[in-house]
Amino acid sequence: MTLASLTKPWEAMSYGFLDASAKRELRRKMLKAIAVPGCQMPYASREVPMARGWGTGGLQVTLTLLKPSSVVKVIDQGADDSVNAASIRSFLSKVSGATETWDTTEATILQSRHRIPEERLRADQVLVLQVPNPEPLRPVEPNMSVARQMHADADYGRLWLILYEQIVRSGRVMQGAAYPSLVNGRHVMTPSPIPRWDVPKLHMAQHLTFLSAGREKRLYAVPPFTRVEPLVFSDVPYQVEDHAALTCHRSGVSGYFMNEIPQDDGSSAFEVSDSHLGIKTIRQAEGAAIRIGPTWYENGKMPQ
Amino acid sequence: MSRITAVPVPDAFETRTNATFEALMWALARPGTVQDLPAPGMAGLAETLLDRECRVFCDDPAFAEVITTFGAAQVALPLADHCFLSLGTTIDRLTQVAVGSVLYPDAGATVVAEVGFGPGQRLRLTGPGIETFAEIALTGVAPEFWAMRAALCRYPAGFDLFLICGAQVIGLPRSTEIEVL
Repeated sequence: MTLASLTKPWEAMSYGFLDASAKRELRRKMLKAIAVPGCQMPYASREVPMARGWGTGGLQVTLTLLKPSSVVKVIDQGADDSVNAASIRSFLSKVSGATETWDTTEATILQSRHRIPEERLRADQVLVLQVPNPEPLRPVEPNMSVARQMHADADYGRLWLILYEQIVRSGRVMQGAAYPSLVNGRHVMTPSPIPRWDVPKLHMAQHLTFLSAGREKRLYAVPPFTRVEPLVFSDVPYQVEDHAALTCHRSGVSGYFMNEIPQDDGSSAFEVSDSHLGIKTIRQAEGAAIRIGPTWYENGKMPQ
Repeated sequence: MSRITAVPVPDAFETRTNATFEALMWALARPGTVQDLPAPGMAGLAETLLDRECRVFCDDPAFAEVITTFGAAQVALPLADHCFLSLGTTIDRLTQVAVGSVLYPDAGATVVAEVGFGPGQRLRLTGPGIETFAEIALTGVAPEFWAMRAALCRYPAGFDLFLICGAQVIGLPRSTEIEVL
């Protein structure tokens, strides 16, 4: 071993910001995460120039995957233009030379906080979800060593108890986001705080999904064609948000997940949450040659 | 305040390891599909995944020399997290490969082997990453290997397999169920 073999020429910055050893560690953990779908794999979670809890987990996975030919889309609650999404996207392209896009159909890597785009993801696309709390058992078991044992035993009864209590108190399941879901019939995961509307998009999907929590230092994955089943009772079927009949007041699309905008007179207006789908619809109506990809939901319904 | 103006360009090492990882990732995410590696052989995989944090076992002394350059400690088989094995004849030692536990599935090893793709033992794969089923044919794997794998991989414990033939790789994660045809 010589000094020359241990050093390399000076660089202003590693390509893709993360150094080579950080990338190797993430690669090893990402492979293990794919091998055991839905099982949380611990990783080191390096420092990135962003506060923990603002998407550092997703950022590290994306940085590991990036290459100059990548096309990245970053969304925050469905919007490409929020400060968080725009900053992450410009950081990603600055450190890798990757192309930025708002278009779901053009992207190769999609990093998202709290939504899955409405247009279907293809087999060559990778979805990276930012996860604030990766442990579905935390509301019922704060001790993470005990929670690990519960995952080992597939002891998920207390999660059903939460759902049962919600039905008893409120007449329906109140879990609005991060709906606990059984992956590959073995591990329950939290699909990150995506609405109930988005959970069926992970079931037997074409694309590969990584879910990464930078603050909690854990990542997990849902490979393509993997069963993702929301926890339900046999007599209380899974219900997505009642948005099928709502129409976006700006673009006119209906049958997709909507944001509710309170109005001065006490009523509500609705706006499509996947903002670029709305933009594409408006531009298409204006006569631009825009292609809207096939969507998961058709006429407000997810085909079985 | 200084601005980054130049577009970052990956060096040859970064380009190679990034492409290798992408092949490994899709190989494991879609078991049974053949993915292209940027360079033939197992050295590229070692370069992409291994460093001083890893413990490896390698039953080929010549390749063990190659792995040394990546800094991983060479240890006995039960302690290794990455195992480079030949699956042709003597596979009794497979029972010593680390499979992790239900508590720590991530402690299961990654096993890498050079085999032949093409006419040979046909296998039918089902499980995550496969829509219905996939079929592959392999040569250079001892016939009793598949029964041993099934006995050792008690999901979610188990080991994950990368089979390399030239510059191509097939991934078989522990979640894949294999039927020998």
